[in-house]
Amino acid sequence: MKQILLITDGCSNVGVSPVVAAAQAHAEGIAVNVVGVLDQGDLGEFGSAEIEEIARAGGGLSRLAHTRQLSQTVQMLTRKTVVQTIQHAVHRELKQVLGASSIEELPPEKRGEVVRVMDELSETSKLRVALLIDASASMKPKLAAVEEAIRDLALSLQARQGRSEIAVFHFPGSAHGDECLLDLDWTTDVRGVHQFLPRLQMRGTTPTGPAILRVVDHFRAPAPRSYRNPDETDGQMSDYVV
Amino acid sequence: MTTSFDWRLPRGTVIRGKWKRSSYRVERLLGEGANGKVYLVERQRAWYAMKIGADAVDLQSEINVLQAIANAKLVSRSEPYLVEVDDYSGTDGKEYPFYVMRYIRGATLSDFLSKRGMEWFPVAGYSLLVKLSELHAGRWTFGDLKAENVLVSDYGRVELVDYGGVTAFGKSVRQFTEIYDRGYWNAGSRSADAGYDLFSFGVLCIQVYDARRLAALAGSLLPQNRSPEELLKLAQSIPALRPLGDWLAKALRGTFSNVEEAAREWQQWQRRTSGRSSSVVPRWMKGLFVASAALLATTIYWLLRTGA
Repeated sequence: MKQILLITDGCSNVGVSPVVAAAQAHAEGIAVNVVGVLDQGDLGEFGSAEIEEIARAGGGLSRLAHTRQLSQTVQMLTRKTVVQTIQHAVHRELKQVLGASSIEELPPEKRGEVVRVMDELSETSKLRVALLIDASASMKPKLAAVEEAIRDLALSLQARQGRSEIAVFHFPGSAHGDECLLDLDWTTDVRGVHQFLPRLQMRGTTPTGPAILRVVDHFRAPAPRSYRNPDETDGQMSDYVV
Repeated sequence: MTTSFDWRLPRGTVIRGKWKRSSYRVERLLGEGANGKVYLVERQRAWYAMKIGADAVDLQSEINVLQAIANAKLVSRSEPYLVEVDDYSGTDGKEYPFYVMRYIRGATLSDFLSKRGMEWFPVAGYSLLVKLSELHAGRWTFGDLKAENVLVSDYGRVELVDYGGVTAFGKSVRQFTEIYDRGYWNAGSRSADAGYDLFSFGVLCIQVYDARRLAALAGSLLPQNRSPEELLKLAQSIPALRPLGDWLAKALRGTFSNVEEAAREWQQWQRRTSGRSSSVVPRWMKGLFVASAALLATTIYWLLRTGA
């Protein structure tokens, strides 16, 4: 199972529409979840509508969350989407085997067995979650909470029986016109990673759409490191020193 | 992980099952779990607890656990815990799955202790450990152990409620509450095992004695600085918990090998504390004893002298 989890606080303003990009991800079997993160106030009508639409196009879920509930929201969305992906697969089977189109249509006695299989699959299937973090200027005060949520998600995923990996990207990338940069490649364990996201070089633009497409590319890539420009990465690494 | 729906069922609402056609009358809301709301309901003059949820899969998954526990006969009960499973067609046209269970009369652990006194804590704690050991014998972890999920009836008898977090050993814990979570305190994984519940139990001990400072500690520490040692430091500053220090250290550091061992050492602590309170005699009382003995001796001496 493949998921992209976009954490953002505003509207995209550069490049391809994020809704189109999410639809592309969905077409390639990647579910896109979106968390709109709030500090004070709200995202505005535009922002909320956009995150909802990105998730809908990406076959995932969207939620608005305060920085305080970010960890819980991130985990809830990830888990729900895993269950949903399995539910879609199970629904196809249900039609063929039992003639019912959804679990709700089955009498309670028959639901038990189906749900047991679903629970087992949710726990044991392979899972890859790419976290795509909006690191534009307005997100800066929220990045500590974002990092905590990433760590917490990694801890929960580690407890699963199936292999679970996460990768972390942020956008906008450097001043050289990159839409998105890889901060942490597929890994099962984030202990020892001091800091995921750079705290400097925040620019004003929010190229959400191009960034999603870049992550979709990364899912396709057999050799994960090929999308990383080594010079860029080194430049980023030096910023990690606190 | 709240996935609950927003509506409340008003008192008197009649819930009729879609499949089995049994009717239940809603009395009042008892509580709320992650997968749904629990109501006190009445059917043919008997009280039951009804959990009603929005998501058939989430609720069924909880029902599966309850059935597995019932089938394994882990818990010695005269009446069945799970009474009925059905769907309710709500007034909004949607269908809501529900299950009916035995109604357990009791107060949450915190309420019970504040009403009856902290002297009940050792007994209630011990019976909670026994409850956990019954579950663990079937290789289940309770998962979401917290003060709200422990109901205490008269004489400190304990029942666990909300089985939404119950997880087979070795799998990822299905539901947890941050402040009681081993992972949150950087004290280990979120995989279900005996130690996971014992860690939450350890936090629970601190919670019942000083909930305010526990919350303050969790709020003030940076995520990377949360640790069992910080919890132990807090426990050490609570006089009533000081004698339980060694036990808490084992629970929070995960060094108990199982709940039985934890229960045995809990008993030893109970014995020590109950023994101690009777052997320790305040100084003034000792002084008074010496004084009255001296007085008695003088009186006898005087009586003998005058009698002679």
